[in-house]
Amino acid sequence: MLKLENVSKDWKEFRIRDVELEVERKEYFVLLGPSGAGKTLLLETIAGIHTPDSGRIYIDGIDVTELPPERRGVGYIPQNYALFPHMTVFENIAFGLKIRKLKNFDETVRELAKILGIDHLLHRKPKTLSGGEQQRVAIARALAAQPKILLLDEPFSNLDVQIRSKLIEEMRRWRKEFGFTAIHVTHSFEEAFSLADRIGIMLDGRIVQIGKPNEVFLNPKGEDVARFLGYENIFEARSDGTTIRFGDVELTSRVHVFGRVKVAIRPEDVIISKSNGNFEAEVESIENLGFTSKITLNLNGLKLRALTVTSKIIEEGIKNGDSVFVSIKGFKLL
Amino acid sequence: MRSSDYLFIFLGSFLVVYIILPIAVTITLQIFDLSMLLKALQDERVLEALWNTLITSTATMFISLIFGVPLGYVLARKDFKGKSIVQGIVDVPIVIPHSVVGIMLLITFSSAILDNYLGIISAMLFVSASFTINSARDGFLAIDENLEHVARTLGASKLKTFFTISLPLALPSILSGAIMTFARAMSEVGAILIVAYYPKTAQILVMEYFENYGLRASRPIAVLLILISLAIFVALRGIVGRRRHAQA
Repeated sequence: MLKLENVSKDWKEFRIRDVELEVERKEYFVLLGPSGAGKTLLLETIAGIHTPDSGRIYIDGIDVTELPPERRGVGYIPQNYALFPHMTVFENIAFGLKIRKLKNFDETVRELAKILGIDHLLHRKPKTLSGGEQQRVAIARALAAQPKILLLDEPFSNLDVQIRSKLIEEMRRWRKEFGFTAIHVTHSFEEAFSLADRIGIMLDGRIVQIGKPNEVFLNPKGEDVARFLGYENIFEARSDGTTIRFGDVELTSRVHVFGRVKVAIRPEDVIISKSNGNFEAEVESIENLGFTSKITLNLNGLKLRALTVTSKIIEEGIKNGDSVFVSIKGFKLL
Repeated sequence: MRSSDYLFIFLGSFLVVYIILPIAVTITLQIFDLSMLLKALQDERVLEALWNTLITSTATMFISLIFGVPLGYVLARKDFKGKSIVQGIVDVPIVIPHSVVGIMLLITFSSAILDNYLGIISAMLFVSASFTINSARDGFLAIDENLEHVARTLGASKLKTFFTISLPLALPSILSGAIMTFARAMSEVGAILIVAYYPKTAQILVMEYFENYGLRASRPIAVLLILISLAIFVALRGIVGRRRHAQA
Protein backbone atom coordinates (compact mmCIF):
# COMPACT_ATOMS: atom_id res chain seq x y z
CA MET A 1 0.00 0.00 0.00
CA LEU A 2 2.51 2.59 1.18
CA LYS A 3 6.18 1.89 0.79
CA LEU A 4 9.15 4.07 1.65
CA GLU A 5 12.58 3.15 0.37
CA ASN A 6 15.57 4.77 1.97
CA VAL A 7 13.90 8.14 2.31
CA SER A 8 16.08 10.96 3.62
CA LYS A 9 15.30 14.63 3.94
CA ASP A 10 16.82 17.63 5.71
CA TRP A 11 14.52 20.52 6.36
CA LYS A 12 15.23 23.42 8.70
CA GLU A 13 16.38 21.89 11.98
CA PHE A 14 14.64 18.57 11.26
CA ARG A 15 15.81 15.52 9.42
CA ILE A 16 14.80 12.01 8.45
CA ARG A 17 17.37 9.39 7.58
CA ASP A 18 17.11 6.26 5.43
CA VAL A 19 13.53 5.57 6.37
CA GLU A 20 12.29 2.15 5.27
CA LEU A 21 8.63 1.57 5.91
CA GLU A 22 5.78 -0.51 4.56
CA VAL A 23 2.19 -0.02 5.63
CA GLU A 24 -0.46 -2.52 4.56
CA ARG A 25 -3.95 -1.69 3.35
CA LYS A 26 -6.32 -0.97 6.25
CA GLU A 27 -3.44 -1.06 8.68
CA TYR A 28 -3.27 1.49 11.48
CA PHE A 29 0.38 2.30 11.93
CA VAL A 30 1.51 4.44 14.86
CA LEU A 31 4.82 6.21 14.65
CA LEU A 32 6.12 6.88 18.14
CA GLY A 33 8.95 9.20 18.98
CA PRO A 34 10.02 12.14 21.10
CA SER A 35 9.48 15.65 19.76
CA GLY A 36 12.11 16.68 17.26
CA ALA A 37 12.59 13.12 16.02
CA GLY A 38 11.37 14.05 12.54
CA LYS A 39 7.90 12.48 12.74
CA THR A 40 6.07 15.49 11.29
CA LEU A 41 8.68 15.90 8.57
CA LEU A 42 8.16 12.26 7.61
CA LEU A 43 4.39 12.74 7.38
CA GLU A 44 4.82 15.91 5.33
CA THR A 45 7.19 14.10 3.02
CA ILE A 46 4.69 11.28 2.50
CA ALA A 47 2.00 13.90 1.87
CA GLY A 48 4.15 15.53 -0.79
CA ILE A 49 4.70 18.81 0.99
CA HIS A 50 8.42 18.07 0.82
CA THR A 51 10.32 16.15 -1.83
CA PRO A 52 12.85 13.74 -0.33
CA ASP A 53 16.55 14.47 -0.81
CA SER A 54 16.93 10.79 -1.65
CA GLY A 55 14.84 7.61 -1.65
CA ARG A 56 11.51 6.68 -3.22
CA ILE A 57 7.91 6.70 -2.01
CA TYR A 58 5.29 4.35 -3.48
CA ILE A 59 1.54 4.42 -2.96
CA ASP A 60 -0.35 1.44 -4.36
CA GLY A 61 2.72 0.50 -6.31
CA ILE A 62 2.97 3.86 -8.04
CA ASP A 63 6.11 5.93 -7.54
CA VAL A 64 4.77 9.20 -6.13
CA THR A 65 8.15 10.63 -5.08
CA GLU A 66 7.93 13.50 -7.55
CA LEU A 67 4.16 13.96 -7.52
CA PRO A 68 2.62 17.07 -5.95
CA PRO A 69 0.32 16.56 -2.93
CA GLU A 70 -2.86 16.99 -4.99
CA ARG A 71 -2.02 13.94 -7.08
CA ARG A 72 -1.11 11.54 -4.28
CA GLY A 73 -4.51 10.76 -2.79
CA VAL A 74 -3.25 11.30 0.72
CA GLY A 75 -5.32 12.76 3.55
CA TYR A 76 -3.33 14.97 5.90
CA ILE A 77 -4.45 16.16 9.32
CA PRO A 78 -1.86 18.46 10.88
CA GLN A 79 -1.51 18.83 14.61
CA ASN A 80 -3.44 22.11 14.69
CA TYR A 81 -6.08 20.62 12.33
CA ALA A 82 -5.68 23.60 9.96
CA LEU A 83 -9.40 24.11 9.39
CA PHE A 84 -10.07 26.84 6.85
CA PRO A 85 -11.12 29.76 9.08
CA HIS A 86 -13.03 31.62 6.36
CA MET A 87 -15.30 28.67 5.61
CA THR A 88 -18.09 27.03 7.54
CA VAL A 89 -17.79 23.45 8.76
CA PHE A 90 -19.85 22.37 5.75
CA GLU A 91 -17.59 24.21 3.31
CA ASN A 92 -14.53 22.76 5.03
CA ILE A 93 -15.74 19.19 4.62
CA ALA A 94 -16.95 19.85 1.08
CA PHE A 95 -13.66 21.45 -0.02
CA GLY A 96 -12.06 18.35 -1.51
CA LEU A 97 -15.31 17.30 -3.18
CA LYS A 98 -15.92 20.71 -4.73
CA ILE A 99 -12.35 20.92 -6.01
CA ARG A 100 -12.93 17.69 -7.89
CA LYS A 101 -16.28 18.99 -9.07
CA LEU A 102 -18.10 15.96 -7.69
CA LYS A 103 -21.87 16.09 -7.84
CA ASN A 104 -24.03 15.29 -4.82
CA PHE A 105 -21.34 16.51 -2.47
CA ASP A 106 -24.08 17.87 -0.25
CA GLU A 107 -25.26 14.37 0.56
CA THR A 108 -21.74 13.03 1.15
CA VAL A 109 -20.90 15.87 3.53
CA ARG A 110 -24.08 15.39 5.56
CA GLU A 111 -23.62 11.65 5.77
CA LEU A 112 -20.02 11.96 6.98
CA ALA A 113 -20.95 14.67 9.44
CA LYS A 114 -23.63 12.45 10.87
CA ILE A 115 -21.30 9.51 11.43
CA LEU A 116 -18.74 11.78 13.07
CA GLY A 117 -21.41 13.48 15.19
CA ILE A 118 -20.92 16.98 13.85
CA ASP A 119 -24.06 17.30 11.72
CA HIS A 120 -25.41 20.00 14.05
CA LEU A 121 -22.30 22.17 13.48
CA LEU A 122 -22.33 22.39 9.68
CA HIS A 123 -23.19 26.11 9.55
CA ARG A 124 -20.62 27.13 12.18
CA LYS A 125 -17.18 28.66 11.64
CA PRO A 126 -14.21 26.62 12.95
CA LYS A 127 -13.21 29.27 15.52
CA THR A 128 -16.45 28.72 17.42
CA LEU A 129 -15.83 24.98 17.88
CA SER A 130 -14.22 23.11 20.77
CA GLY A 131 -10.96 21.25 20.22
CA GLY A 132 -12.72 17.89 19.98
CA GLU A 133 -15.23 19.24 17.48
CA GLN A 134 -12.47 20.77 15.38
CA GLN A 135 -10.71 17.44 15.29
CA ARG A 136 -13.83 15.68 14.03
CA VAL A 137 -14.24 18.29 11.30
CA ALA A 138 -10.63 17.79 10.26
CA ILE A 139 -11.16 14.02 10.06
CA ALA A 140 -14.40 14.47 8.12
CA ARG A 141 -12.72 16.86 5.69
CA ALA A 142 -9.88 14.43 5.06
CA LEU A 143 -12.16 11.38 4.71
CA ALA A 144 -14.54 13.18 2.35
CA ALA A 145 -11.80 13.26 -0.27
CA GLN A 146 -11.53 9.45 0.02
CA PRO A 147 -7.78 9.30 0.53
CA LYS A 148 -5.83 6.10 0.06
CA ILE A 149 -4.05 6.76 3.30
CA LEU A 150 -4.72 9.07 6.23
CA LEU A 151 -1.83 10.89 7.87
CA LEU A 152 -2.54 12.08 11.40
CA ASP A 153 -0.06 14.31 13.21
CA GLU A 154 -0.53 14.16 16.99
CA PRO A 155 -4.31 14.15 16.52
CA PHE A 156 -5.12 14.04 20.23
CA SER A 157 -2.39 16.19 21.72
CA ASN A 158 -4.42 19.41 21.85
CA LEU A 159 -7.32 17.83 23.70
CA ASP A 160 -7.89 17.47 27.42
CA VAL A 161 -7.63 14.05 28.99
CA GLN A 162 -11.29 13.05 29.14
CA ILE A 163 -12.06 14.07 25.57
CA ARG A 164 -8.90 12.36 24.43
CA SER A 165 -9.88 8.93 25.78
CA LYS A 166 -13.34 9.30 24.30
CA LEU A 167 -11.98 10.26 20.89
CA ILE A 168 -9.44 7.44 20.90
CA GLU A 169 -12.36 5.09 21.52
CA GLU A 170 -14.31 6.68 18.66
CA MET A 171 -11.32 6.54 16.37
CA ARG A 172 -11.37 2.75 16.73
CA ARG A 173 -15.03 2.78 15.74
CA TRP A 174 -14.48 5.09 12.73
CA ARG A 175 -11.68 2.85 11.62
CA LYS A 176 -14.05 -0.09 11.43
CA GLU A 177 -16.71 2.06 9.83
CA PHE A 178 -14.51 3.56 7.09
CA GLY A 179 -11.74 0.96 6.90
CA PHE A 180 -9.03 3.52 6.25
CA THR A 181 -5.28 3.03 6.20
CA ALA A 182 -3.54 5.39 8.59
CA ILE A 183 -0.21 6.59 9.84
CA HIS A 184 -0.62 8.23 13.18
CA VAL A 185 2.24 10.17 14.73
CA THR A 186 2.40 10.60 18.47
CA HIS A 187 4.58 10.50 21.55
CA SER A 188 1.81 8.94 23.65
CA PHE A 189 2.15 5.25 24.53
CA GLU A 190 -1.53 5.19 25.38
CA GLU A 191 -2.52 6.11 21.82
CA ALA A 192 -0.04 3.62 20.40
CA PHE A 193 -1.40 0.79 22.53
CA SER A 194 -5.07 1.52 22.00
CA LEU A 195 -4.95 2.09 18.25
CA ALA A 196 -1.94 0.56 16.57
CA ASP A 197 -1.78 -2.64 14.58
CA ARG A 198 1.94 -2.02 14.44
CA ILE A 199 4.15 0.69 15.81
CA GLY A 200 7.42 2.18 14.69
CA ILE A 201 9.85 3.93 17.01
CA MET A 202 11.46 7.01 15.51
CA LEU A 203 14.58 8.45 17.09
CA ASP A 204 16.70 11.21 15.62
CA GLY A 205 15.30 10.88 12.11
CA ARG A 206 15.45 7.10 11.88
CA ILE A 207 12.83 4.43 12.38
CA VAL A 208 14.80 2.19 14.71
CA GLN A 209 12.27 -0.50 15.51
CA ILE A 210 8.99 -1.71 14.00
CA GLY A 211 6.62 -4.33 15.35
CA LYS A 212 3.41 -5.11 17.18
CA PRO A 213 3.01 -2.79 20.18
CA ASN A 214 3.63 -5.50 22.76
CA GLU A 215 6.64 -6.89 20.93
CA VAL A 216 8.28 -3.52 20.80
CA PHE A 217 7.46 -2.50 24.35
CA LEU A 218 8.69 -5.76 25.80
CA ASN A 219 11.72 -6.17 23.58
CA PRO A 220 13.25 -2.79 22.92
CA LYS A 221 16.13 -2.87 20.49
CA GLY A 222 19.04 -0.95 21.92
CA GLU A 223 19.53 1.47 24.75
CA ASP A 224 17.92 4.49 23.06
CA VAL A 225 14.67 2.70 22.32
CA ALA A 226 14.60 1.23 25.83
CA ARG A 227 15.16 4.64 27.38
CA PHE A 228 12.44 6.19 25.21
CA LEU A 229 10.00 3.43 26.20
CA GLY A 230 10.54 4.11 29.89
CA TYR A 231 13.30 1.71 30.87
CA GLU A 232 14.90 4.30 33.11
CA ASN A 233 17.45 2.01 34.70
CA ILE A 234 20.06 0.88 32.22
CA PHE A 235 23.33 -0.59 33.44
CA GLU A 236 26.45 -2.13 32.01
CA ALA A 237 26.70 -5.62 33.45
CA ARG A 238 28.67 -8.84 33.20
CA SER A 239 27.19 -12.23 32.71
CA ASP A 240 28.74 -15.63 33.32
CA GLY A 241 25.98 -17.63 31.73
CA THR A 242 22.86 -17.21 33.81
CA THR A 243 24.00 -14.81 36.53
CA ILE A 244 24.18 -11.16 35.62
CA ARG A 245 26.08 -8.81 37.89
CA PHE A 246 26.26 -5.05 38.15
CA GLY A 247 27.28 -3.28 41.32
CA ASP A 248 26.05 -5.37 44.21
CA VAL A 249 23.14 -6.64 42.22
CA GLU A 250 22.84 -10.17 40.95
CA LEU A 251 20.07 -11.20 38.62
CA THR A 252 19.29 -14.57 37.18
CA SER A 253 18.67 -14.78 33.49
CA ARG A 254 16.70 -17.55 31.81
CA VAL A 255 18.72 -17.23 28.65
CA HIS A 256 22.41 -17.97 28.55
CA VAL A 257 24.64 -15.00 27.80
CA PHE A 258 28.30 -14.44 28.43
CA GLY A 259 30.42 -11.34 28.85
CA ARG A 260 29.35 -7.73 28.73
CA VAL A 261 25.64 -7.04 28.56
CA LYS A 262 23.27 -4.14 29.14
CA VAL A 263 20.44 -4.55 31.58
CA ALA A 264 17.30 -2.43 31.29
CA ILE A 265 14.82 -2.24 34.14
CA ARG A 266 11.54 -0.36 34.20
CA PRO A 267 10.99 1.70 37.37
CA GLU A 268 7.71 -0.14 38.01
CA ASP A 269 9.68 -3.42 38.10
CA VAL A 270 11.75 -2.13 41.00
CA ILE A 271 9.82 -3.12 44.12
CA ILE A 272 10.62 -1.52 47.44
CA SER A 273 9.57 -2.66 50.87
CA LYS A 274 10.54 -2.01 54.49
CA SER A 275 10.23 -5.67 55.42
CA ASN A 276 11.70 -7.87 52.71
CA GLY A 277 13.60 -7.92 49.45
CA ASN A 278 16.84 -9.06 47.83
CA PHE A 279 19.03 -5.99 48.22
CA GLU A 280 19.32 -3.11 50.63
CA ALA A 281 19.28 0.47 49.44
CA GLU A 282 18.95 3.98 50.76
CA VAL A 283 16.08 6.26 49.72
CA GLU A 284 17.65 9.35 48.17
CA SER A 285 14.57 11.23 47.06
CA ILE A 286 10.85 10.79 46.63
CA GLU A 287 8.99 12.62 43.89
CA ASN A 288 5.25 12.59 44.37
CA LEU A 289 3.43 12.38 41.01
CA GLY A 290 -0.05 12.07 42.51
CA PHE A 291 -1.28 8.48 42.53
CA THR A 292 2.25 7.25 41.94
CA SER A 293 5.61 8.32 43.27
CA LYS A 294 9.06 8.05 41.79
CA ILE A 295 11.79 7.06 44.19
CA THR A 296 15.50 7.38 43.61
CA LEU A 297 17.44 4.69 45.47
CA ASN A 298 21.10 4.45 46.24
CA LEU A 299 22.20 0.85 46.08
CA ASN A 300 25.75 1.10 47.34
CA GLY A 301 26.64 3.80 44.82
CA LEU A 302 24.29 2.53 42.11
CA LYS A 303 21.36 4.84 41.33
CA LEU A 304 18.11 2.97 40.80
CA ARG A 305 14.71 4.48 40.05
CA ALA A 306 11.54 2.90 41.28
CA LEU A 307 7.90 3.72 40.65
CA THR A 308 5.26 2.78 43.17
CA VAL A 309 1.79 3.78 44.25
CA THR A 310 1.92 6.72 46.62
CA SER A 311 -0.36 4.99 49.13
CA LYS A 312 2.30 2.34 49.72
CA ILE A 313 4.86 4.99 50.64
CA ILE A 314 2.42 6.51 53.10
CA GLU A 315 1.38 3.14 54.59
CA GLU A 316 4.94 1.95 55.07
CA GLY A 317 6.12 5.38 56.17
CA ILE A 318 9.01 5.50 53.70
CA LYS A 319 11.05 8.72 53.96
CA ASN A 320 14.23 10.20 52.53
CA GLY A 321 17.31 8.57 54.04
CA ASP A 322 15.45 5.41 55.05
CA SER A 323 16.96 2.04 54.42
CA VAL A 324 14.66 -0.19 52.36
CA PHE A 325 14.69 -3.60 50.72
CA VAL A 326 14.62 -3.79 46.96
CA SER A 327 13.61 -6.58 44.59
CA ILE A 328 13.80 -6.50 40.85
CA LYS A 329 10.77 -8.12 39.30
CA GLY A 330 11.73 -7.98 35.68
CA PHE A 331 14.47 -6.83 33.33
CA LYS A 332 15.54 -6.92 29.73
CA LEU A 333 18.92 -7.62 28.27
CA LEU A 334 19.74 -5.25 25.45
CA MET B 1 -4.63 57.56 37.99
CA ARG B 2 -1.01 58.22 38.80
CA SER B 3 0.79 61.33 37.76
CA SER B 4 2.91 59.30 35.32
CA ASP B 5 -0.31 58.34 33.50
CA TYR B 6 -1.12 62.02 33.07
CA LEU B 7 2.34 62.61 31.66
CA PHE B 8 1.82 59.91 29.03
CA ILE B 9 -1.64 61.18 28.17
CA PHE B 10 -0.36 64.73 27.85
CA LEU B 11 2.62 63.81 25.69
CA GLY B 12 0.61 61.34 23.67
CA SER B 13 -2.11 63.88 22.91
CA PHE B 14 0.27 66.35 21.35
CA LEU B 15 0.62 64.66 17.99
CA VAL B 16 -3.06 63.75 17.79
CA VAL B 17 -4.00 67.39 18.31
CA TYR B 18 -1.30 68.49 15.94
CA ILE B 19 -2.78 66.32 13.17
CA ILE B 20 -6.39 67.27 13.79
CA LEU B 21 -5.83 70.99 14.29
CA PRO B 22 -4.86 72.07 10.74
CA ILE B 23 -7.59 69.89 9.24
CA ALA B 24 -10.21 71.34 11.58
CA VAL B 25 -9.04 74.93 11.17
CA THR B 26 -8.92 74.70 7.37
CA ILE B 27 -12.38 73.18 7.12
CA THR B 28 -13.87 75.55 9.70
CA LEU B 29 -12.52 78.65 7.96
CA GLN B 30 -13.92 77.37 4.68
CA ILE B 31 -17.37 77.02 6.22
CA PHE B 32 -17.30 80.77 6.89
CA ASP B 33 -16.27 81.31 3.28
CA LEU B 34 -18.82 79.12 1.55
CA SER B 35 -19.03 81.28 -1.55
CA MET B 36 -15.45 80.42 -2.51
CA LEU B 37 -16.17 76.74 -2.01
CA LEU B 38 -19.25 76.93 -4.25
CA LYS B 39 -17.25 78.82 -6.81
CA ALA B 40 -14.58 76.17 -6.79
CA LEU B 41 -17.22 73.48 -7.25
CA GLN B 42 -18.35 75.24 -10.41
CA ASP B 43 -14.81 75.80 -11.65
CA GLU B 44 -14.27 73.31 -14.45
CA ARG B 45 -10.52 73.33 -13.98
CA VAL B 46 -10.99 72.27 -10.36
CA LEU B 47 -13.46 69.51 -11.20
CA GLU B 48 -11.32 68.15 -13.97
CA ALA B 49 -8.24 68.18 -11.75
CA LEU B 50 -10.11 66.31 -9.01
CA TRP B 51 -11.29 63.76 -11.56
CA ASN B 52 -7.74 63.33 -12.86
CA THR B 53 -6.46 62.74 -9.35
CA LEU B 54 -9.12 60.14 -8.62
CA ILE B 55 -8.75 58.10 -11.80
CA THR B 56 -4.95 58.11 -11.74
CA SER B 57 -4.87 57.12 -8.05
CA THR B 58 -7.39 54.36 -8.69
CA ALA B 59 -5.43 53.09 -11.67
CA THR B 60 -2.26 53.14 -9.58
CA MET B 61 -3.97 51.12 -6.89
CA PHE B 62 -5.11 48.44 -9.33
CA ILE B 63 -1.72 48.20 -11.00
CA SER B 64 -0.06 47.84 -7.61
CA LEU B 65 -2.50 45.03 -6.79
CA ILE B 66 -1.96 43.14 -10.03
CA PHE B 67 1.81 43.17 -9.70
CA GLY B 68 2.21 43.62 -5.96
CA VAL B 69 0.11 40.72 -4.67
CA PRO B 70 2.06 38.01 -6.53
CA LEU B 71 5.31 39.64 -5.43
CA GLY B 72 4.09 39.76 -1.83
CA TYR B 73 3.19 36.07 -2.04
CA VAL B 74 6.62 35.13 -3.36
CA LEU B 75 8.32 37.18 -0.65
CA ALA B 76 6.20 35.49 2.01
CA ARG B 77 6.43 31.90 0.82
CA LYS B 78 9.58 31.36 -1.19
CA ASP B 79 13.18 31.30 -0.10
CA PHE B 80 15.57 32.22 -2.85
CA LYS B 81 18.98 33.77 -3.30
CA GLY B 82 18.81 37.54 -3.22
CA LYS B 83 15.46 37.62 -1.47
CA SER B 84 16.65 40.25 0.98
CA ILE B 85 17.89 42.32 -1.94
CA VAL B 86 14.46 42.16 -3.58
CA GLN B 87 12.88 43.10 -0.27
CA GLY B 88 15.27 46.04 -0.03
CA ILE B 89 14.44 47.20 -3.56
CA VAL B 90 10.74 47.19 -2.69
CA ASP B 91 11.41 49.59 0.17
CA VAL B 92 13.77 51.90 -1.74
CA PRO B 93 11.09 54.33 -3.03
CA ILE B 94 10.26 55.25 0.57
CA VAL B 95 13.69 56.76 1.11
CA ILE B 96 14.19 58.60 -2.20
CA PRO B 97 13.07 62.25 -2.28
CA HIS B 98 10.06 62.48 -4.55
CA SER B 99 11.42 65.22 -6.76
CA VAL B 100 14.37 62.91 -7.41
CA VAL B 101 11.93 60.14 -8.33
CA GLY B 102 10.45 62.50 -10.94
CA ILE B 103 13.86 63.30 -12.36
CA MET B 104 14.82 59.61 -12.53
CA LEU B 105 11.60 58.63 -14.27
CA LEU B 106 11.96 61.43 -16.76
CA ILE B 107 15.57 60.53 -17.54
CA THR B 108 14.61 56.88 -18.01
CA PHE B 109 11.34 57.10 -19.92
CA SER B 110 11.62 60.68 -21.27
CA SER B 111 8.86 61.72 -23.62
CA ALA B 112 6.84 58.54 -23.16
CA ILE B 113 5.63 59.76 -19.79
CA LEU B 114 6.01 63.52 -20.20
CA ASP B 115 2.80 65.39 -19.48
CA ASN B 116 0.34 62.56 -19.90
CA TYR B 117 -1.75 60.22 -17.75
CA LEU B 118 0.88 57.53 -18.01
CA GLY B 119 3.35 59.96 -16.49
CA ILE B 120 1.11 60.71 -13.52
CA ILE B 121 0.49 57.01 -12.91
CA SER B 122 4.19 56.16 -13.30
CA ALA B 123 5.10 58.73 -10.67
CA MET B 124 2.34 57.58 -8.34
CA LEU B 125 3.16 53.89 -8.75
CA PHE B 126 6.83 54.38 -8.02
CA VAL B 127 6.24 56.07 -4.70
CA SER B 128 3.24 54.06 -3.49
CA ALA B 129 3.49 50.43 -4.66
CA SER B 130 5.58 49.36 -1.62
CA PHE B 131 2.54 49.66 0.63
CA THR B 132 0.57 47.06 -1.32
CA ILE B 133 3.55 44.73 -1.70
CA ASN B 134 4.48 44.82 1.97
CA SER B 135 0.94 44.45 3.26
CA ALA B 136 0.31 41.56 0.89
CA ARG B 137 3.51 39.91 2.10
CA ASP B 138 2.53 40.38 5.76
CA GLY B 139 -0.96 39.09 5.01
CA PHE B 140 0.38 35.91 3.43
CA LEU B 141 2.98 35.48 6.18
CA ALA B 142 0.22 35.52 8.78
CA ILE B 143 -1.51 32.52 7.18
CA ASP B 144 -0.71 29.13 8.69
CA GLU B 145 1.08 27.26 5.91
CA ASN B 146 -0.66 24.08 7.00
CA LEU B 147 -3.89 25.50 5.57
CA GLU B 148 -2.28 25.57 2.14
CA HIS B 149 -0.74 22.14 2.63
CA VAL B 150 -4.06 20.60 3.59
CA ALA B 151 -5.81 22.22 0.62
CA ARG B 152 -3.19 20.68 -1.64
CA THR B 153 -3.69 17.18 -0.20
CA LEU B 154 -7.43 17.63 -0.73
CA GLY B 155 -6.79 17.96 -4.43
CA ALA B 156 -6.31 21.68 -5.01
CA SER B 157 -3.48 22.73 -7.32
CA LYS B 158 -1.07 25.46 -6.25
CA LEU B 159 -3.04 28.08 -8.13
CA LYS B 160 -6.40 26.86 -6.87
CA THR B 161 -5.05 26.86 -3.32
CA PHE B 162 -3.89 30.43 -3.79
CA PHE B 163 -7.31 31.61 -4.92
CA THR B 164 -9.44 29.58 -2.48
CA ILE B 165 -7.29 29.76 0.67
CA SER B 166 -4.37 32.19 0.63
CA LEU B 167 -5.93 35.12 -1.18
CA PRO B 168 -9.23 35.27 0.73
CA LEU B 169 -7.40 35.03 4.06
CA ALA B 170 -4.84 37.70 3.15
CA LEU B 171 -7.45 39.98 1.61
CA PRO B 172 -7.99 42.32 4.58
CA SER B 173 -4.27 42.94 4.79
CA ILE B 174 -3.96 43.35 1.02
CA LEU B 175 -6.86 45.80 0.92
CA SER B 176 -5.46 47.93 3.71
CA GLY B 177 -2.19 48.07 1.79
CA ALA B 178 -4.11 49.06 -1.33
CA ILE B 179 -5.80 51.87 0.60
CA MET B 180 -2.42 53.15 1.67
CA THR B 181 -1.23 52.97 -1.93
CA PHE B 182 -4.31 54.88 -3.07
CA ALA B 183 -3.88 57.52 -0.37
CA ARG B 184 -0.18 57.86 -1.04
CA ALA B 185 -0.80 58.15 -4.78
CA MET B 186 -3.40 60.82 -4.24
CA SER B 187 -1.05 62.88 -2.10
CA GLU B 188 1.94 62.64 -4.43
CA VAL B 189 3.17 66.00 -5.68
CA GLY B 190 6.96 66.09 -6.07
CA ALA B 191 7.39 63.46 -8.76
CA ILE B 192 4.24 64.46 -10.67
CA LEU B 193 5.33 68.07 -10.69
CA ILE B 194 8.40 67.10 -12.68
CA VAL B 195 6.99 64.34 -14.88
CA ALA B 196 3.47 65.51 -15.67
CA TYR B 197 2.44 69.03 -14.80
CA TYR B 198 -0.38 68.36 -17.22
CA PRO B 199 -2.96 66.79 -17.29
CA LYS B 200 -3.58 68.81 -14.19
CA THR B 201 -4.22 66.89 -10.96
CA ALA B 202 -5.87 68.48 -7.95
CA GLN B 203 -2.78 68.35 -5.79
CA ILE B 204 -0.85 70.29 -8.47
CA LEU B 205 -3.73 72.70 -8.99
CA VAL B 206 -3.70 73.62 -5.29
CA MET B 207 -0.09 74.69 -5.69
CA GLU B 208 -0.79 76.58 -8.86
CA TYR B 209 -3.73 78.48 -7.38
CA PHE B 210 -1.69 79.26 -4.29
CA GLU B 211 1.17 80.67 -6.34
CA ASN B 212 -1.02 82.61 -8.75
CA TYR B 213 -3.98 83.72 -6.62
CA GLY B 214 -2.95 83.17 -3.01
CA LEU B 215 -4.09 81.22 0.00
CA ARG B 216 -7.80 82.04 -0.13
CA ALA B 217 -8.11 80.80 -3.70
CA SER B 218 -6.28 77.53 -3.08
CA ARG B 219 -8.10 76.72 0.14
CA PRO B 220 -11.35 75.37 -1.37
CA ILE B 221 -9.44 72.83 -3.47
CA ALA B 222 -7.46 71.87 -0.42
CA VAL B 223 -10.67 71.37 1.53
CA LEU B 224 -12.18 69.26 -1.25
CA LEU B 225 -9.07 67.11 -1.37
CA ILE B 226 -9.15 66.67 2.41
CA LEU B 227 -12.80 65.65 2.35
CA ILE B 228 -12.42 63.22 -0.53
CA SER B 229 -9.30 61.66 1.00
CA LEU B 230 -10.91 61.27 4.39
CA ALA B 231 -14.14 59.88 2.95
CA ILE B 232 -12.38 57.23 0.89
CA PHE B 233 -10.00 56.43 3.71
CA VAL B 234 -12.80 55.96 6.24
CA ALA B 235 -14.97 53.97 3.82
CA LEU B 236 -12.23 51.56 2.83
CA ARG B 237 -11.00 51.17 6.41
CA GLY B 238 -14.55 50.36 7.38
CA ILE B 239 -14.79 47.63 4.76
CA VAL B 240 -11.47 46.12 5.74
CA GLY B 241 -12.29 46.35 9.43
CA ARG B 242 -15.57 44.54 8.96
CA ARG B 243 -13.97 41.78 6.89
CA ARG B 244 -11.31 41.28 9.54
CA HIS B 245 -13.96 41.20 12.20
CA ALA B 246 -16.07 38.71 10.28
CA GLN B 247 -13.13 36.34 10.01
CA ALA B 248 -12.02 36.56 13.60
